[in-house]
Formats: sequence, structure tokens, C-alpha cells
Amino acid sequence: MIGFIFRRFLQAIVVVVGVMLIVFLLAHIIPGGAARAALGPRATKAQIAQFNHLNHYDQPLLKQFWLYIDGLVTSFNLGYSYHWNQGVTTVILARLPKTLVLVGIGTLLALIIAVPLGILQVVRRNRPIDYVLTSLSFVFYAMPVFLLGALLILYFSFDLHWFSSEAPQGATVGDILSQPRGLVLPVFTIAALTIASFSRYMRSSMMETLTEDYVRTARAKGAGPRRVLYVHALRNAVIPIITLLGLSLPAIVGGAIITESLFNYPGMGLLAYQAITNTDIPLLLGTTFFATLATIAGSLVADILYAVADPRIRYAK
Amino acid sequence: MRRLTSVVTIAVLAALLLAACSSSPSTPSASGSGSGVPTSGTKQAGGTATWAEAPNTQPNYIFPFMSLAYFSVANINQFQFLMYRPLYWFGNGAQPTINPSLSLAQNPVYSNNNTTVVVNLNPYKWSNGETVTAQDVMFWMNMMHSDKANWAAYAPTFIPDNIKSLTINSPTQLTFTLTAAANPYWFTYNQLSQITPLPVAWDITSTGASAGSGGCSAAAFGKEDSKCNAVYTFLSKEAGYDPANPHATNNSLATYATNPIWQIVDGPWKLSSFDAAGNASFVPNPTYSGSPKPTLAKFVELPFTTDDAQFNALVGGHVNFGYLPLQDVTKPTTNPLVSAGNNPRLSGFYLAPLYTWSINYFPENFNSTGDSGNAGNIWKQLYVRQAFQYLVDQPLYISKIDKGYGVPTYGPVPVEPTNPFASTVEKSNPYPYSVAKAKSLLSSHGWNVVPNGTTTCTNPGTGASQCGANIPAGAKLAFNLEFASGNASQVQLNNTEKSSWAQVGFNITLSEASFNTVLGNATACTPGPSCSWELENWGAGWVYAPDYYPTGEEIFSTGAGSNSGSYSDSTNDSLTVQTNTTNTPLTQWENYLAKQLPVIWQPNTVTEMSEIQNSLRGVLPQDPLWSINPENWYFVK
Repeated sequence: MIGFIFRRFLQAIVVVVGVMLIVFLLAHIIPGGAARAALGPRATKAQIAQFNHLNHYDQPLLKQFWLYIDGLVTSFNLGYSYHWNQGVTTVILARLPKTLVLVGIGTLLALIIAVPLGILQVVRRNRPIDYVLTSLSFVFYAMPVFLLGALLILYFSFDLHWFSSEAPQGATVGDILSQPRGLVLPVFTIAALTIASFSRYMRSSMMETLTEDYVRTARAKGAGPRRVLYVHALRNAVIPIITLLGLSLPAIVGGAIITESLFNYPGMGLLAYQAITNTDIPLLLGTTFFATLATIAGSLVADILYAVADPRIRYAK
Repeated sequence: MRRLTSVVTIAVLAALLLAACSSSPSTPSASGSGSGVPTSGTKQAGGTATWAEAPNTQPNYIFPFMSLAYFSVANINQFQFLMYRPLYWFGNGAQPTINPSLSLAQNPVYSNNNTTVVVNLNPYKWSNGETVTAQDVMFWMNMMHSDKANWAAYAPTFIPDNIKSLTINSPTQLTFTLTAAANPYWFTYNQLSQITPLPVAWDITSTGASAGSGGCSAAAFGKEDSKCNAVYTFLSKEAGYDPANPHATNNSLATYATNPIWQIVDGPWKLSSFDAAGNASFVPNPTYSGSPKPTLAKFVELPFTTDDAQFNALVGGHVNFGYLPLQDVTKPTTNPLVSAGNNPRLSGFYLAPLYTWSINYFPENFNSTGDSGNAGNIWKQLYVRQAFQYLVDQPLYISKIDKGYGVPTYGPVPVEPTNPFASTVEKSNPYPYSVAKAKSLLSSHGWNVVPNGTTTCTNPGTGASQCGANIPAGAKLAFNLEFASGNASQVQLNNTEKSSWAQVGFNITLSEASFNTVLGNATACTPGPSCSWELENWGAGWVYAPDYYPTGEEIFSTGAGSNSGSYSDSTNDSLTVQTNTTNTPLTQWENYLAKQLPVIWQPNTVTEMSEIQNSLRGVLPQDPLWSINPENWYFVK
């Protein structure tokens, strides 16, 4: 296992550098570039030249990339964002915990609800409750997040005044958590769509597992329905969910752009969106870097959890 | 039991969904749905007013001497000005003129053929007890001298280059001696307007150093550049930006509200909390020496990344003063200055359109090698530009696309907000919509007009009835217009204009790009393979600040820094110089340029549809330079 992780780690470095290089090159061919984006329509040629010189944008692209990687490796310096007047690392590290809170709670909530829901559907399959839950899952699964968020705001905030239409604001996670009413709607928006997806996977996986030979054997040996379900079937049925969870990690780190935008939540998704719209190249690269790390880590975590969930799965040495 | 729980859960979810779908708008209140501004109520002291920042434009720089990267309304007019007052305040009621009652100095006195300017200071105090003196002005001017490249509004030959000497006559009086005579209006509105006195306590190069130890404020004008540069560098770092090494890590933004440097203010407000996301809270400066003094107990600025998020917060009651996204305007108006009615969801608010001191246009590239090398030469022909402008029906576009909330641009001076500078010629629209005139202009200059096709030159040459210099036979009126994406009304406007231009055979190919891309492409260039852009429309024209006197030397003069299309005209240059240096009225230049069409004039959409809570007063009229004065605001019961 350790060898496997080490090999994956080495692969990860190559992938990260490759992704960063591609994004770096793409970002730098945007017409106007970072200088015009930062300085605006008033900038003269002299001011743009000064800006480019100060920020090394007048250097050959590969040299710029080398300087960037050097800063990253030696001092974890991801550059400076003029839009935020802060180092990119500082900006990201301020946003990341907030997104982890929002999407993390949403995903956890989804997991807690979706797994029992999926099991319930299997237990009561082809009965009214199964049909209703399946229909609801499809509704939420098909529903665009902006629509669900807007509906929740309309009803629970504007009409009932139960929850805030604006997510909590503040500099720290503590500030965010101190305003739980503001978290309810964005968390539910994220959770509802995830529940729909997870519960469908759970239902399918559980149904498939229940047809396996070893389940039939367990039943033949006199195991009760609950034991069959929770002891024998659940562990295998949950494997697809583990994959989904692993693949959710980039979303947890990258944030939920639309949800964060709708509720004005100061998270990573919104930050990435702003970096794009502001042509904030250092910040764009920084958010890409973190998203890449999360993608790789997510896939690695999923692989490891596979082995934990299913001892039959072993990785080549 | 489990079944019951499941059924209940499903029922609740379904009910919520249905209820949300069928949710009806709140009933509008009488005061919120009409255009009337509420007047009743009793003034209350105290309270917290929450104000919505424009989307994605949070304040991020506190030091008033800043580079172009931080030179924004969000930083200057809506953040710094609350704490640090400029020498001269512009914005007097709804007019973009000087406001003596909010200025730190009396109106300047000009003499010696307008080469000498005497500035007398009003009795203002810093919050540390010091008086705002001539030395504070000298401090700024010395920094401007040492670090002009880092001053956002610097342009070669203008301030501080045009100051021969600056002397302090007394603690309350300075004399500027100019290198050449200046138009007093221009010098006051466009040069002195850039000055913000700085406290001597800021004249330091390290934390805790004694006031004035930096040696910049007490120096004679321009004599201690190295010392001033050191002070500038220190203060910039305290504000979060290291001019020598922008990539250096620092955490200065988090200290804005606690750093003793930034707590020394001469404005009515002090920063009480601030975070990097743009959340800012202010409390009254108890020692504010100006008038009026704040009535509110606290003023809060909230950042929003999108106008939809802001709208949700507004409806949800989290904001006292926000804005209605133009797409959510429900009733069109016939008078752009008066709201026709509020959005039904916003009960308890009144709507007030705000127009800033700006013009809207897009440039033609006079050096373009597009259109088979002919584009630049075609745009150099005034009659072509006239024909093009004749087909821009601004009143119609404002009425149909902007729902009436827009004002036309007919020349280099804004016709709204009301101001003393716009001439009658400009207000009357020199080029009212006329397909016949556009067609006639082209036909009479040797073009074969093909409506809804491509008009071509059939009579090349430089004669009065010929196409013009360097335009060959067969040259086509076919151009590419790139415009900024992301705004539905911009898309509609450009498509409508395309159809209009097609009526006389202007074959315009539209393309969309991001605002920054359009801006990046609209760069002045010399004729060559890389200078092929033809028309670039970023949708925002030009805001006259801090060049409040709209003389346009930065955008229309030959070689000017923001002359994107490389327009060059000797008469314009001469008239511009006259407006800068003599008492020649603005009208002559303004009328000339309005007709010369150095750019294509475009309708100027309302800057903001402000939404103000009925109980919040003292807000109107709004400042046309988009400054906010919460010291005027108060709540009523």
C-alpha cells in the first residue's frame, strides 16, 4: 500500500506540473493580459510596460513559469492578486476553510440522508414509497442548482422569513459558523442535489448486491433480513458511494460556484469565478493548483478507501 | 413508524417544492411601488446603515496615494473619502462641480495671467488633534514629485510636471507657480483635484517612528525625492502593496482597522472593522471638524459578487441601501431621471436612478489594417463616420433596451447629469437618426450603397465626390465589431445597431469577448499586421474623474494615453490646448469634437438603480461622481 501511495504521489507531481503549465500558457495568451485587467481603460502604454516589468510578464513564458514554480516550491508563494491586494496563497487560505465548511456539511448531510434513503427504496422497492422517492430524486437531480436555490430563497427567506437569503459573511470560519441561520439554505441546496444523486447510486448498488451469491448463501444459512442488509450487503453496496465521495473532493475544495454566487458565500468557487472574470492570472493559477491537488487527492483517497471497504481489493506492489 | 417518517419526509419535500414554485410576490407597499420619495417621519439619532458595494468591486486599498491598479470608485469615492478628504471635493448636490462646503480649501485664487495659484485652507483637524495645514498639502505634492510613476492619474507634462514651484506662505496658505498659464477651471478641476492632504504623522518610514521623521512633508517642493520615496514605500506596504516586490507576502489588509496610521483621519468616519473580502464598518470620527457630522452610529459596506446576490440580500432585508439590477426593472420610465416604479418584490424601498459623470462611446481604429488594409483609411473619412453615427438611434435604444433608464452621448461632454459644461449644440444631437442622410453621404462620395449587403467604393480618389485618400475601388464597408460580453442589454444594443448600419450597407460582423479582452484589444497601434482591429466596444466609455473638467486631453488628443483609436486632428489638439491653458470656453472644443466623431457616441445606460429603504433619508440627491456621504444619512421613525 505504501509503495502504491508513493507511486501515485510521484505521478501526482507530474500531473500537477503538467496541468499548471497548460493553464499557465492558456492564461497568458488572453488578449490584453493581466496588465490591462488590473489597470483598466486608463492605463497608458508606459504604465502597462511598467506593470509587466514589475510582474515579470515581459519575460519569456517558460521563464515566467519557472519563476512561478520556483516561488511555489521554495516559499509556497503563488503570486500576488491585484484585485484582492493580497498574496494568492493568503486569499485562497482564507476562502478554503469556508468552502470546506459549506460543501463539507452539505456533502456529509447528503451522505447521512442518501444512504438510508437508498436502502429504504430497496427494501420497499416497487412500492409507492419507492416510486415517490425515485420521482423526487429525478426532480432534484434534473433541477439546476440556481433554480433550486432561487426557489428556496423565495419561499423560506422572502415569504416565510425563516432563513437568511444571504450566507454568513465574515473573515473566519468562526464568523461563518456563528450565523447558522444563514448556512441553512446554501447547505440544503448543495445537499438536496447530492442526495438525489447518491440515493440513486445507493439504490442501484444495493439491488445489485442483493442478487450476489454470497447474499443468497447468507440467507440460506438463516441470516435475518437486517443482518443480510446491514452486515453482508451494505459494505459492498457502499463502494460506488466511496468513488463518488472521492470524486467529490475537488468540488469540496473547488467550491460550488453557483450556490456560492447565489447566496453570496465567500468561498473558493466564487473566488475561481472572480479570478476568471477579472483575468486575475495569479489567482486563476492558484485556484487551479488547489483544484488539481484536490482531484488527485480525491482519486487517491477513493482508491485507499476501496481497499478499506473491500479487503479483496489489493494493490500491486 | 419508519414508513410514516418516510411519507412525512416526502410530503414535506414535495410541499416545499410546490410551495416555492407557487410562491407569490409580496404585496408592494404604496411608498415602495411608486416613484415618490418618502418625506414623513421623525429624525432619529443613531442606527446602522448597511450599504451594498457594487458587484465584484470591493475596496482593497486604503492609502490615498495609489497606483492605477487600485484607482477605483470603490477605493476612492466609497472608502477613502469617508476617512481622508481631498483638497477639493467634487460633486455638489446632483452636479459634478466643486463643492466648497466639503472641500478642505477655499476656491483657489488665480493671478499673474493664471500662472500663480494661491490655495487657502479651511480650518480642519486631523483626529490626532493636529490641524490640516499647508505642510500636509506639500507632503502630498512631494510624494507626487518623487513617485509620479506610481500615482494613478499622472500624465506627462501635467501635475506635478507643470508646477515650477510650490511654497508654503503660512500654515493655511500655499502658492503654486505654474510653468505656463493654465485655464483656472481646468487647473482646479483636473489638477488640484488630484490632491489629498496627508497627515504629518504619516511621514515615517517605520512603525512607531516620530511624526515627520521621514523628511518628506517638511521638505521644499521636489527637493527630497529619495526620502519621499522611502515614505511612499513604507505606507504602500502598510496598505498591502510592496512597490518593489509585489509578490512579497504580507497581511496588511487585515490590519486596516487597527493600524494606528490609518486611524488618523480628517473625514467624518473612522474604520472600525475591515476584511479582505470587502466587509467594512465605519463609526463616526468624534473629532470631525467639518459639517455635517454623522447622525448614524455605524455605517457598514457589504461586498457582493453578483447583482443577483445583492438583490436577494436587499429583498431579504439585509441592506438599507442597495441597487436594483436593470434586468429586474419592471416599469419603463419616460424620464430617465425619475423612476417609474419599483420592483414589486421590494416593498419598503424607493428607487432612484444614478447617472455618473461619464460618456459612452466605442473607438474606431484610425490606423487599422483590417478590411484588406482599408479600414483605417475609411474611418479617417469624416463623412463615413457621420453616416455611421446617423444610424445610431440613441433615444430609441434607451427607450426600448434600457427601459428609458439611460441618457444619450452626443459629444465629449456628458449631457446628464445636469452640468454647466454641456453646450446647446451637443444637447441638440448633431447627428439625429437618419437613414436617408447616411445613404446620401455615402452615395455622394462615390460609394455604391447596397442596403443589407456590403457597400463598396466605386469612385476612388480625393475629390469632393470621391471615396477619399488611399481608398481603392472595390473597398468595402465591412468591419468587425468586438463587444464586451456578459450583459444582455449590450448584446441587444449591438445587434440592433448592426441591423441599423446594414440599412446602408455597413456590413458589421459582431463578436463577443470578455470586458478585459475587448479593453486589451482596443489598444492604440501603428499601421501594421498586428494593428487589424477595427471597432472595439467595451461598453463603458470614459468616466471624468479626477479630470472633472471634461476637456478630454487624455482620450482624444494625438498620442494621448487612452486614445485607443489613434484619433489625430490638429484642430482638436489646438482647441484642447486652449481649453487647458487659456480662458477659452469649453464650448468651442466641445462642439467641434461632437461633430468630428473621434469615436462613435453611444447611449449611456443608468449607472445604478439605487434602492433606498423608506426610513433612510438624507441620501438624495446622489453624487454624480458616485461618492457616498453617509454623514448626511439618518433614519426616521
